[in-house]
Amino acid sequence: MFYWSMKTLFSEPMRLIVSSLAVAVSFILVIFFSAVFEGESNQMVTYLQKMEADVWVMQKGVSNMHMASSMVWDWKADKIAKLPEVKEVSAILYLNGPVKIGGKDWFSYIMGISPEYQRAGPWDMVQGKAIPAQGEAVIPEVISKLTGVQIGDEVIMIDRPLRVVGLTRGTFSMASSVIFVSHKDLGDLVEGNDQFSYIMVYAKPGVSTQALIKSIKYEVDKVNALSSEDFIKSDWQLAVQMGAEIIRMMITIGTLLATLIVAFTAYSLIARKKQELAVAKALGFSNGQIYMAALCQSIVITGLGLFISLFISFTLLTWLPAVIPQINLAVRLHQFIPIAIITLPVAVLASFSAARTVTKIDPMTVFNS
Amino acid sequence: MTTNTILQATNLTKIFGSGTSEVRAVNEVSLKIKHGELVLIMGPSGSGKTTLLSMLGALLGSTSGEVIIDGIDISSMKSAELAALRAKKIGFVFQAFNLLEALTVEENILFPARLNTGGIQAAKERLDGLLNSLGLTARRKALPNTLSGGEKQRVAIARALINQPPIILADEPTGNLDSHKGQEVMMILHDIARDDGCAVLMVTHDPRVEEIADRVLWLEDGAIRDRKSEQHSWVKDPVCGMRVDEWTATIATEYKNQQYVFCSQNCLDRFNKNAEQYTNKS
Repeated sequence: MFYWSMKTLFSEPMRLIVSSLAVAVSFILVIFFSAVFEGESNQMVTYLQKMEADVWVMQKGVSNMHMASSMVWDWKADKIAKLPEVKEVSAILYLNGPVKIGGKDWFSYIMGISPEYQRAGPWDMVQGKAIPAQGEAVIPEVISKLTGVQIGDEVIMIDRPLRVVGLTRGTFSMASSVIFVSHKDLGDLVEGNDQFSYIMVYAKPGVSTQALIKSIKYEVDKVNALSSEDFIKSDWQLAVQMGAEIIRMMITIGTLLATLIVAFTAYSLIARKKQELAVAKALGFSNGQIYMAALCQSIVITGLGLFISLFISFTLLTWLPAVIPQINLAVRLHQFIPIAIITLPVAVLASFSAARTVTKIDPMTVFNS
Repeated sequence: MTTNTILQATNLTKIFGSGTSEVRAVNEVSLKIKHGELVLIMGPSGSGKTTLLSMLGALLGSTSGEVIIDGIDISSMKSAELAALRAKKIGFVFQAFNLLEALTVEENILFPARLNTGGIQAAKERLDGLLNSLGLTARRKALPNTLSGGEKQRVAIARALINQPPIILADEPTGNLDSHKGQEVMMILHDIARDDGCAVLMVTHDPRVEEIADRVLWLEDGAIRDRKSEQHSWVKDPVCGMRVDEWTATIATEYKNQQYVFCSQNCLDRFNKNAEQYTNKS
């Protein structure tokens, strides 16, 4: 029966391809949302990664940047800079909020940059100047392309009009783009001209991160100090946690969709081959053997769907951000694990639809001419 | 021909429905078929021939009575046991050929071989002999949709024989064939009984087969009866000219207020294409 099931399946290649493609589409849907989510999550920590600090210092009780608020007196940056373990510090005032660009609110990480801490500014400029002065803003190139806002045009931070002076690369995210303004403008807005939100600390060669953290915590009151690795991990996990439910829902929807598609295909295949299966029963094949044949067909359709989804995901999805720049995609092998795990249950579940039909097939129908 | 019984039915009855809608399809039929016998079951349409064949082939349970296949009473067997018994003891040949469309000729023939204790390897050794004796060697890789009706039925016969069953049950094996091909298939089944010692039980409307059969069982209203000679009404098939019993023929048509009967569906199809030619001829 296995041989028959495979020959029957492959004797109608178009039907097989269409069914497998439909399964692949439902899997790709899951992978796509997972990739978008991971891409966005990665993008949300890009600023933290690009700063390449050894230690991040923030208000006590704070351990994130995403969806967080932190205020540290500016003199604490000076105090940290004077520690013997420290080579250099940099600092930003930070606000998570909307910036109106081209008539649309873009939820952003607004970084207030001081002239003395230019290292905290953009790392990849496309056009214009990197460090904004008072009344100026540096925005992502992608937003400029999407809205048509160019250098010299006006954007509004909360209620404060600013003029665009520079365009950056690698700073756009659908959830939170990075926009650079002057420390003065942001300080005026949040009444924090004598404060920073985060202080980036660079250790002298040979100084361990843990020793530096210990020293900062000992010398400076009411601050939290985290290694760059821990700070990024903490922010990334927060972002992932926020999207975990969505991803779970997408996997469920994709799985159900794939199950329905395979079930329909397996059922229609069995229904169309009823007469042949009646012959098989008459010749002596059991319901169990015929059901296994239906299961094999389901497994092949689902497996082929998985293979196609892997192929398309690795080729098309990685190429997509080049065409649609506002999409941050991260296609990783681990995203396929849940899909691969659900493949077999999908096939088994789907073949149940055929099982009922198999048991109802009457071998007597072989006598119908 | 050996004399021992391979298939036996005793007081076999099948009732469909109940109360006022009760239909007694087979009524108290008793018969014995021996090794090497070619037995025909004939009778008018609706007389219970196929129902009887299905019960004898372990495809349909009886309401009462017993069926014994190669010494085994199948009355109390479960469906899985019946399936295993069919695989070993019975080969089926159907009117509609019932070949598996995706499989080649040799794959169709080997299809039931996996169910046999000898397995596929032993069957492969028999395959060449069957292909050769049935004139299918050149068509062994062909798909069913490229075969003629006669070739399809020969493949079906080879499939029925691959597990070397002691019983062949054939339901109208010539029903979809023209007279020449029908004759060819009949002779193959005749040789299977004579040379291989198989018991061949055949349901047919084709009166020409009587000449090669060892026995004819006449079924009427579900029961085996003596057939009276006046129940024949021989007429000529207007297409091929073969003798057809008008009384039992199932393939018929009406043309210009006159009834015509045919030996096969093929002849009817030809008639329908150019009725004028055949009616003028006759």
